[in-house]
Amino acid sequence: MNPFWSFVGKEARHILRDRRTMLILFGMPIVLMLLFGFAITNDVRNVRTVIVTSQQDHLTQQAVERLAASEYFTLTATVGTPQEAERLIRSQQADLSLIPAPSPKGEGSSRQWQIMVDGSDPNMAQQWTAYAQAILSQPISGKSHIHPSPFGEGVGVRLLYNPQMKSAYNFVPAIMGMLLMLICAMMTSISIVREKEKGTMEVLLVSPVRPLMIIVAKAVPYLVLAFGILVAILLMARFVLGVPLAGSLLWIVVVSLIYILLALSLGLLISNIADSQLMALLLSAMVLLMPIVMLSGMLFPIESMPQVLQWVSAVLPPRYYIEAMRKLMIMGVGIGDVLREVCILSGMTVLLLAVSLKTFKNRLE
Amino acid sequence: MNDAIVVSHISKSYGKVEALRDVSFSVGRGEVFGLIGPDGAGKTSLFRILCTLLLPDEGTAAVDGFDTMRQMREIRRRVGYMPGRFSLYQDLTVRENLAFFATLFGTTVEEGYDSIRAIYSQIERFADRKAGALSGGMKQKLALSCALVHQPSVLFLDEPTTGVDPVSRKEFWDMLESLKERGITIVAATPYLDEVRRCERVAFLSEGKVQGIDAPDVILSRFKDVFNPPAIVPSAATQPQQAELAIEVHHLVKAFGTFHAVDDITFSVRKGEIFGFLGANGAGKTTAMHMLTGLNQPTSGTGTVAGFDIRTQHEQIKRHIGYMSQRFSLYEDLSVRENIRLFGGIYGMKPVEIKAKTETLLQQLRFEDHADDLVASLPLGWKQKLAFSVSIFHDPAIVFLDEPTGGVDPATRRQFWELIYEAAGRGITVFVTTHYMDEAEYCDRISIMVDGKISAMGTPDELKRTYGKPDMDSVFTYLARQATRSSD
Amino acid sequence: MLRYLIQKEFLQIRRNAFLPRLIIAFPIVIMCVMPWVMNMEVKNVRVCVVDNDRSTRSQQLVHDIEASRYFRFNGLKPTYAAALKEVETSKADVVLVVPQDYGRELELGRNPQVLIAANAVNGTKGSIGSSYLAQIVNRPLTRDGLSVQPVNAGLLSLYNPHQNYKLFMIPALLAIVMMLMTGFLPTLNIVGEKEAGTIEQINVTPVSKWAFILAKLIPYWLIALFVITVSLLLAWGVYGITCAGPVWLVYALAMLLALFFSAFGLIVSNYSDTMQQAIFVMWFFVVCLMLLSGLFTPTRSMPHWAYLTTYLNPMSYFIDAVRTVFIRGGGLHEVLRQLLALGGIGLIMATWAVKSYKKNH
Repeated sequence: MNPFWSFVGKEARHILRDRRTMLILFGMPIVLMLLFGFAITNDVRNVRTVIVTSQQDHLTQQAVERLAASEYFTLTATVGTPQEAERLIRSQQADLSLIPAPSPKGEGSSRQWQIMVDGSDPNMAQQWTAYAQAILSQPISGKSHIHPSPFGEGVGVRLLYNPQMKSAYNFVPAIMGMLLMLICAMMTSISIVREKEKGTMEVLLVSPVRPLMIIVAKAVPYLVLAFGILVAILLMARFVLGVPLAGSLLWIVVVSLIYILLALSLGLLISNIADSQLMALLLSAMVLLMPIVMLSGMLFPIESMPQVLQWVSAVLPPRYYIEAMRKLMIMGVGIGDVLREVCILSGMTVLLLAVSLKTFKNRLE
Repeated sequence: MNDAIVVSHISKSYGKVEALRDVSFSVGRGEVFGLIGPDGAGKTSLFRILCTLLLPDEGTAAVDGFDTMRQMREIRRRVGYMPGRFSLYQDLTVRENLAFFATLFGTTVEEGYDSIRAIYSQIERFADRKAGALSGGMKQKLALSCALVHQPSVLFLDEPTTGVDPVSRKEFWDMLESLKERGITIVAATPYLDEVRRCERVAFLSEGKVQGIDAPDVILSRFKDVFNPPAIVPSAATQPQQAELAIEVHHLVKAFGTFHAVDDITFSVRKGEIFGFLGANGAGKTTAMHMLTGLNQPTSGTGTVAGFDIRTQHEQIKRHIGYMSQRFSLYEDLSVRENIRLFGGIYGMKPVEIKAKTETLLQQLRFEDHADDLVASLPLGWKQKLAFSVSIFHDPAIVFLDEPTGGVDPATRRQFWELIYEAAGRGITVFVTTHYMDEAEYCDRISIMVDGKISAMGTPDELKRTYGKPDMDSVFTYLARQATRSSD
Repeated sequence: MLRYLIQKEFLQIRRNAFLPRLIIAFPIVIMCVMPWVMNMEVKNVRVCVVDNDRSTRSQQLVHDIEASRYFRFNGLKPTYAAALKEVETSKADVVLVVPQDYGRELELGRNPQVLIAANAVNGTKGSIGSSYLAQIVNRPLTRDGLSVQPVNAGLLSLYNPHQNYKLFMIPALLAIVMMLMTGFLPTLNIVGEKEAGTIEQINVTPVSKWAFILAKLIPYWLIALFVITVSLLLAWGVYGITCAGPVWLVYALAMLLALFFSAFGLIVSNYSDTMQQAIFVMWFFVVCLMLLSGLFTPTRSMPHWAYLTTYLNPMSYFIDAVRTVFIRGGGLHEVLRQLLALGGIGLIMATWAVKSYKKNH
């Protein structure tokens, strides 16, 4: 057997034999996809509502029924005073409370309400009140099963690309960005550093095999693994989560391959710097994982960050990959519209590859 | 171009530490050249420079006619190197490891099989077992096979036989001799005197300098105080004849699945005795020791240690024993003093007592100036002595030593044994395993384990008489060669 | 005996090249950087306007958008298609289309339809952005009293009057601090001793299971307490955010969470042989616990099956309780259920951890 393939085979065995890590490598994308696809949502749902009322008049009754009939609100209690409602909210038994204002001025005019909301989470509080207000301000004669628009009367809203507002649309590209980086950079660097730490690297270096080939051979199985995971994610996104692959599949794969190459160069760079597995692990976790999850627009919008952090975010490769994937996959734009991202990614790849090859040591320190 | 290796005026330092100072020598083609010297003498640095893994600060070296600094690729194509801590791929099987290293060096297992037959045949039956599941000595044998499967023109071996039993070491050196016949130049470092004698010439390295290069016998006699310290004459005081037993074991068995690592052993150790527990790699020594120290439960059989049952009272046993393991067992990131205080505290000694005894101990070991040094910065021999002293710091009834002197030079080993005698003189029972047969002679009584069973037991003199052999080495070789299983 | 073991752990932590720096830097990063990052506040939404009316009314609308703190006006575009192109190239997030005769219809007291098209790839941003924009669009109606008031309900937002997202996030960040300090660090430490072989030496000494485990955990618990104190001080010093309820409850909750994480870490380290394995296994579970805990998204919004998991998720209890105490000013009575649940889960895990640690095989 040619030494190159013998190397690849050896490396593949290392990966396959470590069952637990394997399980997690493949379990992680699946679990993450399912969680983000189904469980993690900001939908307004099951908002626990308390009605504060001393006397039940017709108008209150009607409004309350309408509220209860909607899928957004669940009536949990009726209490006598606003103080009691506040106590329920404080002890996490309710989220929102409706207090009817004193008797309306004349027949026919709509009921005045005071909405008391748990404002701890400003975003959710904003959405809950918007929904509650919309339901309450509906004409009384209106049929109660009609879905109210939380946007008011004079506005038509079109939610582009993601009309059902599924969070999966947002997260699938982000998960791809994170996992590909994790597998290629972290796993590759750890596996190279492990050889350094265990002393086998010395033997490999002294052997007639060119050092660069050792590294390339190490990268191959991870490349295959990363590609497998990419395919798995895309299939799950399409058929389980129902995320449309709106753009060209070819370009999605090409851009992903550029990104995988970039991640592998980064992994090589880390392995050049670190001399223990622990250090490689911490470097990957601190320098790669944390900033990627936090700063690349995966979970938190970049525009809301202070300027300094936006600059930091600007040098993170996953940011551009995630952006490119969102556009290609979800928005379905042509390659022309992601040219900027692709160029930046390619530039970064070339730079990182050059630096990591330059710093690769043929000898020990 | 008669010399395979020419080293001239090589110096290398790491920060302030000078590893090598102006080292020069040359090795002829087809020569077996020994590198000897205490731990930290600079042997490993020298190997790395010759293998092109390190650049020297000053001086030049040439291997097989190529310069180590400029012609890296040429050299790497021609040399074989087995570093001191040669490590196999634990999650690959024996066969996969061997096949991988064979391809790495551009050959196949079939082609190289002849040159490794003597050693590889011993582990071949475990070809499909993962390397991580082998015992220490077996791993070393596999490592040797991997290093020798190809035939380079120059072979560098950095203490290749540490932890390997005497029989296998002999086989290994027989293999080297056959390589030499094919014109392969061999440079090997070793702490074993019998191996030193099998070299044609040796260089004695100490504190980074070449102290002398000559035939082994010349060097060994010139630096007699280092290599051949006068044997310790056990005083009468260390030969207690008390009837009281410290360890008593009946029909002890430890099985892993169907495999009986320890297969029905029965023996007893008297109080204050130095008991040598010998056996080839994989004979079951470490497993037996783990049962005695309460790390493992026996599968069947009974035993007491210091009067406590090994099945039920293992926590009480732990209170009355000391233990020093094969793998170095102090905390490297604590200082000498902190390690002593920690282990004193663990055994429930009072702070005043710890303080007083620490000073005495430091004086005794002449460590006063290094009391606050991190253990990691001490030379190996010092660490071993310290580890032993710490293991008997709380005056245990029995101390268990698992290959305490592996890889240590003869002078330090001698000092180590003086400590053992001193402890035995205080009434501490010593239970020790070793692969050095000269150390076996120092024991009051020894047992030799073969295939999980004890095949011989008695004083060294009795054993030599029974088997009609001149020394322990021959007795051991005779018994160990009868082994039918080579396993762990 | 315990004293010496704990002393040893502290010495080792101090000697470590990396840990002391981590312990100092971690709370600073968590408190000074994270709240700015974990900000789901929707702002700087870029709006493109397609003005088909070009009346004073529509200009007033553009003016209102420019003045809003949520939006950045991104220019007028002649057609909807041109505006959409801006969205596709990520130069705009929302398009507002003002219909022809918008001004005149308003004068006539009718209700002209404007169109808001938002990039909803990020659902939260899309919907909140459009709802803010809808509020601005609807405002002139109220101001002129020309139409029925669409919003006839007053709003009282409790606990977080300035809608400060940081106030919402900071108490929850303590969970992340505990996770690293009392979960990951001791696990790495124990697996490290396993790999170095020193654990074997400890196993042949009379050190009991409990002493060994406690000696490993107590230093990290103390460090965690220190880090939490620093974090709370930073929250007060940097953001002026203080705990609305009793502070001791925050500490009590944190320590119970520490019990869980430590026990969990021990279990992982007992079943792993290498650091890499331990880290991956921990990371996997911790990410799942965190995502399902309500740290980022409300647990109530989850589908029923996912919501059921929160009954077993200690992170979820902690985050619920700590927010109640910290933001809503709840006392012991309000968080009793969570305290008990956390304690219970912690104890079960701790028993398992001690059971699975074996000195004698």
